[in-house]
Amino acid sequence: MGTPSFPAKRLPVAALLPLKRLRAQLAPTVADGLLSLGLLALIAWAAVQLGGWAIGRADWAVLQLNSMLLLVGRYPLAEQWRLWLLGALLAAQAGLSWGLLRAWPRADRREQGQLWPRHDRIAAVLITLLALLLPAALGLAGALQGRWWLLAAVLLALRWAAGRWGPGLHRRTLKLLGLLWPLLYLLGFWLIGGGLGLAAVAPGEWGGLLLTLVMASFAMALSFPLGVLLALGRRSNLPLLRWGSVAYIEFIRGAPLITLLFIGQNILGFLLPASISPDRVWRAAWVLTLFAAAYLAEAVRSGLAAVPRGQLEAARSLGLNQAQALVTVVIPQALRVALPTMVGQFIALVQDTTLLSLIGLLDLLGMARGIMANPEFLGHSSELYLVLAVLYWSCCAALGLGSRALERRLDPRSLAGRP
Amino acid sequence: MIRAEGVEKWYPNGFHALRGASLTVNRGEVVVIMGPSGSGKSTFIRTFNALEDFQKGSITVDGLALSNDVRQIDAIRREVGMVFQQFNLFPHLSVLENLTLAPVLVRKRPRAEVELQAMALLERVGIAEQAEKFPGQLSGGQQQRVAIARALCMEPRILLFDEPTSSLDPEMVREVLDVIQALAAEAITMVVVTHEVRFARQVAHRVVLMDEGVVVEQADPESFFTAPRHERTQRFLEQIL
Amino acid sequence: MNGTPWWRDRRVLPWLLQAVVGLAVLVLVALLMTNLVRNLSAAGLLLSWRWLGQPAGFDLSETLLPFNASMPYGRALLAGLLNTLRVIVIALLGSSLLGALVGMAAFSRNGLLRGLARVYVEVVRNVPLLLQLLFWYFLVFLALPDGRAALQLPGLVLAKSGLYLAGFAGGSWQGPQLLNGSWQAPLQLSVEFGALLTGLITYIGAFIAEVVRGGIASVPRGQWEAAGSLGLHGVATLRHIVLPQALRVIVPGLTNQYISLAKASSLALACGFTDLYSVAETTLNQTGRAVEVVLVLLAAYLAIDLLISAAMNGLNRLVQVRER
Repeated sequence: MGTPSFPAKRLPVAALLPLKRLRAQLAPTVADGLLSLGLLALIAWAAVQLGGWAIGRADWAVLQLNSMLLLVGRYPLAEQWRLWLLGALLAAQAGLSWGLLRAWPRADRREQGQLWPRHDRIAAVLITLLALLLPAALGLAGALQGRWWLLAAVLLALRWAAGRWGPGLHRRTLKLLGLLWPLLYLLGFWLIGGGLGLAAVAPGEWGGLLLTLVMASFAMALSFPLGVLLALGRRSNLPLLRWGSVAYIEFIRGAPLITLLFIGQNILGFLLPASISPDRVWRAAWVLTLFAAAYLAEAVRSGLAAVPRGQLEAARSLGLNQAQALVTVVIPQALRVALPTMVGQFIALVQDTTLLSLIGLLDLLGMARGIMANPEFLGHSSELYLVLAVLYWSCCAALGLGSRALERRLDPRSLAGRP
Repeated sequence: MIRAEGVEKWYPNGFHALRGASLTVNRGEVVVIMGPSGSGKSTFIRTFNALEDFQKGSITVDGLALSNDVRQIDAIRREVGMVFQQFNLFPHLSVLENLTLAPVLVRKRPRAEVELQAMALLERVGIAEQAEKFPGQLSGGQQQRVAIARALCMEPRILLFDEPTSSLDPEMVREVLDVIQALAAEAITMVVVTHEVRFARQVAHRVVLMDEGVVVEQADPESFFTAPRHERTQRFLEQIL
Repeated sequence: MNGTPWWRDRRVLPWLLQAVVGLAVLVLVALLMTNLVRNLSAAGLLLSWRWLGQPAGFDLSETLLPFNASMPYGRALLAGLLNTLRVIVIALLGSSLLGALVGMAAFSRNGLLRGLARVYVEVVRNVPLLLQLLFWYFLVFLALPDGRAALQLPGLVLAKSGLYLAGFAGGSWQGPQLLNGSWQAPLQLSVEFGALLTGLITYIGAFIAEVVRGGIASVPRGQWEAAGSLGLHGVATLRHIVLPQALRVIVPGLTNQYISLAKASSLALACGFTDLYSVAETTLNQTGRAVEVVLVLLAAYLAIDLLISAAMNGLNRLVQVRER
């Protein structure tokens, strides 16, 4: 049977020969061997079934016909160039940041800096393959295909250029480049929503992956400062602030998100004067934000609790005032501790955006369900579900991976044990 | 430089930590405070830069009376540096950034100028080559020397040391005490809470014994250690010598 | 000490800050409330509970509490609440069992089993629950064959028309039987209920598995070695030495997962199961009583959360005391 053992005991296994190693892994005892055989048979059966379905019976036309609907919903065709432009800008910024990250390894371990570590090479190949194969598999028109290629090319070219010339840049220039992200964020909302010279596209026309990403990123960006404030409030010695924060956090965490969205859709209209009452999409966005803030606050609170009291005292004794001490000394350390939990909350938030489909918004899941309800595509929901699952899984797993990489990069204590 | 008179402090849980402690420290003087644990010596020096508040008595630092005026408190903290038992370096900042943070933020001095001064200070405490490292990569003794340099970088008129060697491994105590001793030679006003008798003998102008929240005895090191007047001092010295 | 202007006095400043924040919140709440009252009275919907006694006019498909369309809204909400509780209790037991097994599988000597446990956890945790519920309902349970072709396991039959379980009926043990082309059994569940349970159990089970794994990993390695040196084998060590110590880390984590299970059960309407939330939504659509319905919902879920917390706190005390 799968006899339990402490993981560290397995270490010597790595030193064995491949065949023996396999045996030690799969069949340390006869019972284990039988169990392994059973599991292997099960896995093989599942793989054959799934493979047979994907190649034989699955009809991927449902995806090819609806790819734009799933990506951007009913966003007007004439204005879609704005989304492509935004995509190109995002790709450029991502490539730039990625390259600079490699070009400027942390000062204390410059000797380990490598311009193209193995992971980066794998990522570059994957991006190229995705850009080449995905549009073709979806049967996109030539012009659209070209745009995907362009996006990938921009990303990789800037990654290369930033890695190549990044070290020559002045430190101050680098600081300014950091400001590009928030700028791009605002620019993105302008490009998507229009106004100020661009034709307005109402939030009701955003849909699919676009709506999911807009909602998730909006809620993440705004819930972050809110969550930090709530966490500070909860740890404050001022009774009113403390109890106010506690009441808010516990109220939100006690209710299921769907009931809060329900409040947003059905009661917010009664609470605000009609003139400033936001439309359905923005109402849901604000509910998501307020919801995420409470969970984020709990993550940040645990981070704050991990910062020793002496840190604040040291900062104050150097003459920093309370706000300066919090911003430069306490909060950066707290966020570093809270990072894994916070990313966990962000992952949950991405998943929670699917609930928007329950209140009638056409996010990625809502759009997919709309397509499934179309008699023309009846019986092809499996394909859509599978693609959706893969999409969400990739988004969430990528966030998780990114957070682990960031953790390693940020933690100065992890360096303490290095030779 | 510091004049504390009849300082009394109760903690919120009712503990009476300071029961009328009085002390005067003159400009350029090095005062060492000793006493059994729980005698209130740390609490006492922490009232000097308002890390602890107090309920009765008065404290004047560098001509400024400690009050509840936040602007006054900030002003006093700028002029009073403090070195802690647990170092309290900022682990997320490099050694150099630890030094430059406060002068740039509080004194609004240009960063380049502060960095030059910080490097000179690190040179003085003997760890200039570690400027780019992070505190977690340094030994305890090195960390405490960085902490001293950090306090000095604000160019304080008074330095407070709260048991600076108590959490160090024995072999690192010397390097930190040497740095403090070198500072004493430059006539910086210092108040040092410590258990290091040899250090007190060599460096202090005056040694003070605190017990149960009051200053029991103060004298020059020679007479403090060889001819203590007070019975409580004698008992304390018997225990540590 | 005198002569400090009040706006710089550190005894006054905290209260000043609180007063400002408090006042701002108060003004905001007052504004919202005035709006609420004005808008509600304009719509003729001022707070009232009389509608609870009016006949609901809709039917509920599957309830513990007998219910039909002529019964009042209050009873409909109560029937929904009972359904929610039923889901929570069964899913709680099921996910605990699954989570414990998978969590322990992470320490198996069998590499394949360990790998499968890992894959299960990573897949389930990174795919939205709602998507999983829809998958179980539409792609698995609604795709089941019916009648003679139904999936037949010992004591359990899975068919499109429902789930049929063996049980005691009329004093004797009875399995599911096919009568005139339709299945009969002592215990019947709807596919909606089955899909919801399966989805919740596999989803929360993955999170509980992580809690269990973390708990076991928190027991120092020396404990395994000490037990091994006393001659205990793997399972006995786990059972008598490691688990009792791991529980004090596991139980607080479980509390969080149980509460999130209770909240997740509100997604029942994705599987077409009538829980409290879906009854509440129908009620709102018919009566327009948004404020009252929301109050009922919030109070019910808050009560369930508190109940779970209280029970788990009791369990926690038990576990922590036993350690001494």
